[in-house]
Amino acid sequence: MGILLFVALGISAVLVFPSISEAQKEQKTFVTHTGGVIKTTGEVLDPVYSVSTVEFDPEKYLREFNYGKISTLENGKTLREFTIIAEDDKVQEISPGVFFNVWTFNGTVPGPTIRATEGDIVRINFINNGSKEHTIHFHGIHPAEMDGVFEIVGSGGGKFIYEFEAGPVGVHPYHCHVMPLEEHIVRGLYGVFIVDPREGRPSADEMVMVLNGLDTDFDAENNFYAANTIPFYYQHHPIQINTGELIRVYVVNMVEFDPINNLHLHGNLYHYYPTGTDTVPSFYTDMITLSQTERGIMEFKYDYPGKYLFHAHKVEFSEKGWVGLFLVKDSGTESQYGT
Amino acid sequence: MEHSDISSKGKVLASGIIPFAFLVILIAYIFGPGSDVLNLGVPLPEITMEKVDFVDSEIKVTVRNTGPIPVEIAMADINDRIQPAAIEPDKTLERYESAVVRIPFSWNEAEPYNIGITISDGTRFEKEIEAAAYAIQPSLELAVLFAIVGTYVGIIPVMIGLLWLPFIKRISKQKYHFFLALTAGLLLFLAIDSVEEALEVSGESLAASFNGALLVTTVVVFSFFGLYYTSEKLVNNSQKAKIAKPVAIALMISIGIGLHNFGEGLAIGAAVGLGSIAFSTFLIVGFALHNTTEGIAIAAPMSRGKLMIGKLAGLGMIAGAPAIFGAWVGGFVYSPFTSVVFLAIGAGAIFQVILTIMKWIRSEGDQNLSSAAVASGFVIGMMIMYLTSILV
Repeated sequence: MGILLFVALGISAVLVFPSISEAQKEQKTFVTHTGGVIKTTGEVLDPVYSVSTVEFDPEKYLREFNYGKISTLENGKTLREFTIIAEDDKVQEISPGVFFNVWTFNGTVPGPTIRATEGDIVRINFINNGSKEHTIHFHGIHPAEMDGVFEIVGSGGGKFIYEFEAGPVGVHPYHCHVMPLEEHIVRGLYGVFIVDPREGRPSADEMVMVLNGLDTDFDAENNFYAANTIPFYYQHHPIQINTGELIRVYVVNMVEFDPINNLHLHGNLYHYYPTGTDTVPSFYTDMITLSQTERGIMEFKYDYPGKYLFHAHKVEFSEKGWVGLFLVKDSGTESQYGT
Repeated sequence: MEHSDISSKGKVLASGIIPFAFLVILIAYIFGPGSDVLNLGVPLPEITMEKVDFVDSEIKVTVRNTGPIPVEIAMADINDRIQPAAIEPDKTLERYESAVVRIPFSWNEAEPYNIGITISDGTRFEKEIEAAAYAIQPSLELAVLFAIVGTYVGIIPVMIGLLWLPFIKRISKQKYHFFLALTAGLLLFLAIDSVEEALEVSGESLAASFNGALLVTTVVVFSFFGLYYTSEKLVNNSQKAKIAKPVAIALMISIGIGLHNFGEGLAIGAAVGLGSIAFSTFLIVGFALHNTTEGIAIAAPMSRGKLMIGKLAGLGMIAGAPAIFGAWVGGFVYSPFTSVVFLAIGAGAIFQVILTIMKWIRSEGDQNLSSAAVASGFVIGMMIMYLTSILV
């Protein structure tokens, strides 16, 4: 009996206190949301701070505007020609370590930002290199047959030419309009279409932010949210701007599944032009709520240098990636905004 | 003559091996290099979060690859909010390999949490924690506490149950049969209870690839026949070994109950380990009441021999003490797999004990199992257990 008890005790001790003398391994560190530094002998799973190796570059996309191949028509109007190719077989690293089959216009999510001036003729040579049917449906004013809804473009090289006069002035989305529509949108077939007023807008540091999400496990809920696809990207690669300089952000909400999205700016307020169709701002605020494809232009200047957050104040979204930073550098110039 | 004997042996051997060789060839053909005859469907990755420990400002998740293909762990979240984390030793998990995901998080005691792990294809797996509580650290103090709890739950109630022996000793044969049947009823309830618990644990925490229900069945059958064989040997040799037959039966009952109590200890240790302290106090009281009846089960067969207090106490220890070891294992090194296995062993052991008791009643009582005493004893035994189980 005594021996039995002793043996049992011994076995229990071995089970309970395993591998006391494990060799020292190399230590790695990472930083938590609250700033704590954690050491580990293993690997870091950190979508927030690690340098992204993702194929899509949100830094480049932010300020990249495509004006097309420009020529003048007989009637004196400017023609802007674009080529957009749809694909649906790309697997991209949409967050460090997470690979997802995105559907793309010209290889990226969002697709290229198309920009024209009011009254220009926009011609889109659309090629569908996907395995499914796709179209491009532009928000804006155009003839019915250019609406990209009933003119389905077949897979494997199907072609269609969309041609219409750019208008109205503002910021609009474009997206695939093939059923099942939700799938064709959330997989990434969308982009931004900007129509500038003929007289132009005041010069500014301009950027595009598409507020979007990705449902990587197909449960009709987004696993990731972001401004421009990659979660947390602008948090670890802050957007550099200058004090006193006018900043103009073209914001388009493409989030699906969740009824609303919003944008809150820290340390500042912005003038908001809903849909960008008017030259007079409707709001002066630090918080705008956007429903599906709701969009607008935000204009602001920073007086003080430093780091300022911008994020969804639906903070679930910001904790799943829709958060970024403006790094405001002191340019030495006085604020001239509002004059 | 001798020669033909050898060649016939060779033939037997060959006829045994040939089908097996064909089987090997078949498997080699299916799995062999360059063979994609049966390359159907898409294998889906799967991981199982086997254990979640809440420590100082950190949540540790033990995750195992329980799917058919290797996986890469990509991300961790708490309540569906992404958190930076670390994985040790590394994020690539081969089949059945496990790793610990460390998520720094200032959690609040007694609040529920949903732990999510996302793998490289974007699939998110989750585990619900009802109430967060500090993971217990193995310490001498706690080991002593578990020993005390095990004593309260296992040893003392069984010993109290044994005190019914003088009572059972004085009653008529009919009543004695009633008590034996009562014991069998009690035990049948315990066995079903163990199987249910094993299935529950396997359903909650074991990956589908372990085939929970079949694992339980296999272990129950293994344990049953293993002990059946041993006990037959023991009871048949009881004359030679100078052990009275009632003692041999009581010993087998004690071993069966001991294995069962090990499972109960696991449940208590795990409950403390998972932080449901209030729940486990209740569990302790319930088990204590419940286990008093187990003493009767041991006392019943012993009542027909000489009164042997030393042996009786020894049997009580065999039946009760495993609760202590169970609490240690359950509290300190909890793993759903071992829990399921031990619970199933306990169930198999008890089924065997029931068979032994039924045979004993039959041989004692005119080759008859359908007397009023036996039938009512069995049913009442089940009812007693059911009523005391409500307390657990």
